[in-house]
Amino acid sequence: MDMTLPRTGQNRVPRRRLRRRLGALGGLSVALLLALAWAAASGSLGLSPLELVMGEVPAMDWQVWWQLRLPRLLLGVLVGAMLAGSGAAMQGLFRNPLADPTLLGLASGAGLCVAVWVVLFPASDAFGLYGQFVAGFLGALGVCLLVFGLARRRVGNGAVLTLLLAGLAINTLAGAGGGLLAFLASDEQLRQLSLWGMGSLAHSLWGATLVALVLVPPALLVLLRRSQDLDLLQLGEATAHAAGLDGRRLTRQVVAATSLGVGVCVAVSGIIGFLGLLVPHCLRLWLGPGHRLLLPASMLGGALLLVVADGLARVMAMPAEMPVGLLTSLLGGPYFLYLLLRGRQGC
Amino acid sequence: MLSLHHAGLIDLPSLSPLHGDVTPGEVLAIVGPNGAGKTTLLTMLSGFRYSQLGPVTLDGWSLEAWTPAALAGRRALVAQFEPSGFDWRVRDLVVLGGDPGPEAVAEIIRQLELACLAERGVLSLSGGERQRVMVARALCQLAAARRDQNRDGGLLLLDEPTSALDIGQQQRMMRLLRRLAVERHMAVVCVLHDLNLAATYADRVWLMAAGKRVAHGAPSQVLEVERLALTYRVELQALDRAGAAPWLALKP
Repeated sequence: MDMTLPRTGQNRVPRRRLRRRLGALGGLSVALLLALAWAAASGSLGLSPLELVMGEVPAMDWQVWWQLRLPRLLLGVLVGAMLAGSGAAMQGLFRNPLADPTLLGLASGAGLCVAVWVVLFPASDAFGLYGQFVAGFLGALGVCLLVFGLARRRVGNGAVLTLLLAGLAINTLAGAGGGLLAFLASDEQLRQLSLWGMGSLAHSLWGATLVALVLVPPALLVLLRRSQDLDLLQLGEATAHAAGLDGRRLTRQVVAATSLGVGVCVAVSGIIGFLGLLVPHCLRLWLGPGHRLLLPASMLGGALLLVVADGLARVMAMPAEMPVGLLTSLLGGPYFLYLLLRGRQGC
Repeated sequence: MLSLHHAGLIDLPSLSPLHGDVTPGEVLAIVGPNGAGKTTLLTMLSGFRYSQLGPVTLDGWSLEAWTPAALAGRRALVAQFEPSGFDWRVRDLVVLGGDPGPEAVAEIIRQLELACLAERGVLSLSGGERQRVMVARALCQLAAARRDQNRDGGLLLLDEPTSALDIGQQQRMMRLLRRLAVERHMAVVCVLHDLNLAATYADRVWLMAAGKRVAHGAPSQVLEVERLALTYRVELQALDRAGAAPWLALKP
């Protein structure tokens, strides 16, 4: 080692990295816009962007598109971005690439609370609607706190095992709770619950979309603002603290934002599985583990994947449609198994 | 620079109160048997366990009075490596706590002999290589904050930085720490297992046992064969080295 010591210089982001960043985010944005254009035009109610701009559309078609398709597209973007973004953030928080809102039981916890609410207060008015959101948030928050409390008590491989087992337990519990509710529910509620439980954007109307539009973007913003701190946390808690991180505050904010976002998403669209695992994992292989790039890219990628998957779910079995949650689980389940089979935790 | 005063440590039953200070320009080694409280002491000095610290002061201010960001500019910690599940490139990892600029980073990377590993993923490195990466990261953190300051180089806390290094790397690491203390006027506090490293490179030694500091002072005073025999339950023999601290060898 040399005797001379370094002189300190200016703090600059290397141009190469900046270009890469803009390139990745720009590419994902363009892909998302194309997917939206395709999803807007596809299916039985579709209107292509050209028709929309030219305006030579029968008023009836336009009305239907506006009332049914547009909120569905918006919801696809919001829910996809939120689920994938919260997956990436939770993985950063737990310093573990297997953390995911579905696997850890956040989604099913939120789902159970929403189901309880729907059965107990079978109203379709605004009270019932907003109650669903509150119930979803509380369910997700409860599970998040529980899982995080459990994870903190173990280190290393023990923590991973604890996390996944806790998720398993919560998922099982929520499943049992759902079964119990099925006894109590009326026929109509039962149908509503089972459709919603599979995860679908098919029932999106403006009411729910507007609520999501108000609540989801702030949650996304909180996560984006803390991306640099999530990077620091990867050093381990003591080292990150010594490097200037207020770890408790970060944890609180990320837990609150993901719980709020996931709770809202589950309340509007049911459980759409594996987006939070699949999207960040693929993007990490491409862009590296830094959250400053990974978080926004995951949000764009999640929105892209969900808009495409929802479009496919609509056209694959026309005129019927399959729940999109089924489709993402069909994709995500095998991918998760592949991750486990490959054995190494890193990526 | 860093001072500990009596009392205030009562919340941590494993450690008894102790009194002492660390000044810029010196290397302080903390030694002791397994479970003596060395790592606990280090995390308390870094302020990580701030609710239990009581009156530990840095630059005359209680650690609790510092904001995390300001404190990060004055002291850095090299903990024992905690694996993150993600495969960071070495070059990206070393600037996580602060980026002192490309030239300074390149210099630190070169000092720690990481140049040929800079593009590798950290999960593919050996334990010793990871230790050097984490030391480089701490140096980058302090260098980034030091930009406008003409005062001392800050406080560097290290938890067994040589535990996975070969003897050549151990020597170069300890020489580097000495040089940082002298040339950069840093205060270096280093938990060490190897008593000979402490005897050879430290200015002062604290000997811990069962949560208490049982001796402190110059290495030659603290690392006496009889005392070590009691503390570690070990049979040692001091071999004379010309012009240096005696070599502590295990009796066969």
